Amino acid sequence: MTEAKTPMIDARDVRKTFGDFQALKGVSLAVDQGEVVCLIGPSGSGKSTLLRCINHLEVPDSGNIEVDGQPVGYTTTDGRSRRKSSREIAQMRSQIGMVFQMFNLWPHISAIENVALGLTKVKGMPVEQAAEIARTQMDRVGLAQKCDAFPEHLSGGQRQRVAIARALAMEPKVMLFDEPTSALDPELVGEVLNVMESVAADGMTMIVATHEMGFARKVADKVVFMDDGNDVETGAPDKAFDAPESERLRRFLNRVLA
Amino acid sequence: MDLDFSVALTYLPVMLKATLLTITLALVTQTLGTSIGFVFALGRTSRSRILRFVVWAYVWLFRGTPVLLHLFFVYYAAPLFGVTLDAIPAAIIAMTLSSAAYNTEILRAGIQAVHPGQVEAAEAVGMRYSRIVRHVIAPQAVRIVIPPYMSNFISHTKNTSLASVITVPELMLTSQMVYSSTYRAIEILTVAGLIYLLLTSCLTGLQLWLERRTSYEARGMSRRRRAIFLGKAPASAPREA
Repeated sequence: MTEAKTPMIDARDVRKTFGDFQALKGVSLAVDQGEVVCLIGPSGSGKSTLLRCINHLEVPDSGNIEVDGQPVGYTTTDGRSRRKSSREIAQMRSQIGMVFQMFNLWPHISAIENVALGLTKVKGMPVEQAAEIARTQMDRVGLAQKCDAFPEHLSGGQRQRVAIARALAMEPKVMLFDEPTSALDPELVGEVLNVMESVAADGMTMIVATHEMGFARKVADKVVFMDDGNDVETGAPDKAFDAPESERLRRFLNRVLA
Repeated sequence: MDLDFSVALTYLPVMLKATLLTITLALVTQTLGTSIGFVFALGRTSRSRILRFVVWAYVWLFRGTPVLLHLFFVYYAAPLFGVTLDAIPAAIIAMTLSSAAYNTEILRAGIQAVHPGQVEAAEAVGMRYSRIVRHVIAPQAVRIVIPPYMSNFISHTKNTSLASVITVPELMLTSQMVYSSTYRAIEILTVAGLIYLLLTSCLTGLQLWLERRTSYEARGMSRRRRAIFLGKAPASAPREA
């Protein structure tokens, strides 16, 4: 009675070069539905690039990425593959939530309008219905009182929570977090991690590039250690943190946990 | 020195009529120049190398040569292509060409000043490029662009006086004609100067109004948006700072 389960996110042998710099040297990663995967590793190890390839903000040089069984970036009809049109890429991205290190909220509209804009302009929802959903999402990230605030008047932690609400409002199949707390003052990190933890608890499939080892240990189902464009070691958090196999991971953990 | 402004008063209706043409020329060419400049600015920031080069070359040519030359050129060159252009259409074409070049650069500056992360965030929710331009880039670029854009508009308005050289009876040419027949150059030029100052003052006022209108954080959400998004009328809306 066991069904062969296809992973929600399936990246195989992804390579990406920027000029002379090989950001990804053949990375593979499979994430099951509802699974939370944390990408750890030093800066420049390729964590961000991998996330950006998954929603096609970067186009990989080679390799294959599928989200929910659908290839990202190209499509196959009658055995022939072609690059997806910008419409198809946009459609695919609307199912992949992304949270950025620098929040990237739109400064010219209020917090709630940031959350609602994708619903009206991508999903074509009537504005009243979008506003309703946006209010629910703002409440979910604990910012019901800040709906009318403009990004400039919010703290970093609040901005990032709005950014999470903006992504969640689209009801994505997966959420990608690109170092969501790296730009925050230390005392604001907790509120963002708490929201992310609750999103994970609701069963969202997540990939989180992070330097927060405590979060990775507590929330992740799987930890992937990346270094120098390679996925060096993959394992359960307990094993990765307490009994790392590779020398490189051991050295990395010594540095960050010291 | 003996000045007689009663002459100016006599000829004021003629000059005001000419002012109407000056205003029309300025508005029409600025509007066309802005529309073309907007499309060109998108071309200048596009991924296509050819498109970027074509627009760059256009700006290089038309910003690099005098408007006065464009006016003569369009006026005298048109017959070579089998059309005779009246002075006014020739002036509109020539001044649009140069306006488009300047506005391309001004609007490009605005587009490029919007942080790339802003566009990425819009791409990440699945917005298409036209929507991103409309809802993310334009509202932020407009604010950045207002001071240089309005400076250029003011300068462009004054430059309509150059159309006098190809016999467009706008304010400058009309003034010249009036003082040639009345020998009251100082008086007529003073009045013409005041009219130009009035026109550019209106634009300065427009700039202030636009800057205030587009200062989004200070203004807060509009009453209408509040009602839609917060599901209630404003209790104490933050007023303009």
